[in-house]
Amino acid sequence: MVDRPDVDETIAADTPWIVLVWNDPINLMSYVTFVFQKLFGYSLQKATELMLDVHQKGRAVVSNGTREKAELDVFRLHEHGLWATMQRDDQ
Amino acid sequence: MARKPKPPVERVGRDKFCINLDLEEVDLIHRLMTELRQLLNEPPGDDGRLRRLFPVAYHDPGDRELDEEYQRLMHDELLQSRLKGLDLVDDFMAGGLRHQRLTESDLLAFVQALNSLRLVLGTILDVSEDHDFGEVADDHPLVGEYQLYDFLSWVLDWSVRALQG
Repeated sequence: MVDRPDVDETIAADTPWIVLVWNDPINLMSYVTFVFQKLFGYSLQKATELMLDVHQKGRAVVSNGTREKAELDVFRLHEHGLWATMQRDDQ
Repeated sequence: MARKPKPPVERVGRDKFCINLDLEEVDLIHRLMTELRQLLNEPPGDDGRLRRLFPVAYHDPGDRELDEEYQRLMHDELLQSRLKGLDLVDDFMAGGLRHQRLTESDLLAFVQALNSLRLVLGTILDVSEDHDFGEVADDHPLVGEYQLYDFLSWVLDWSVRALQG
């Protein structure tokens, strides 16, 4: 008999995740913009908009995807010293 | 007519960058990076100074177990990544940085290491959003650290400009 997949686990696995960068008083605005360009290939305009969202609204969603992809993005942001976290995209 | 001073870091070619800092300034940065390496190599503990270098990945309280698992798997990788970056910077700083030509990879490692220093120093100083460094009194016990933070910010900002230029 084939086991039925656990529905809750399936949903949890399929739930997309978002990566947030939070405002902090230490990182320079120019540096944050540069990191967004470098890691995600964003244009200067897009990276600047995201940086301003971080600065003015306190946080910005900078990427999304599977949990594995979100963890990798968080890791790379941490390598560059940014305050990044991830959460399910259902909040 | 006064000559315009050179920026501390500038692009001088497609994949070439030049550091125009004084010898004392280069020595200072090199020394700080050595101290950062020592700090990173200390046995793991609750050293608050390193808090910003190893942040949480999952901030939702319901994801605490996921964060513990993430930290268990990734903390050492993040540590090794920082040490590797410092090694690269150390290689080209040991020979004296002044007027040395750096590649983009070199400068990227330099920028990440500089930013790590600022994160540690900023944490020690408890820098806030509205802090005005111009208002730090000359007799403040941490005035030297504030000046250092300001100096590192200046070098970092110019390094980013050079990379973007």
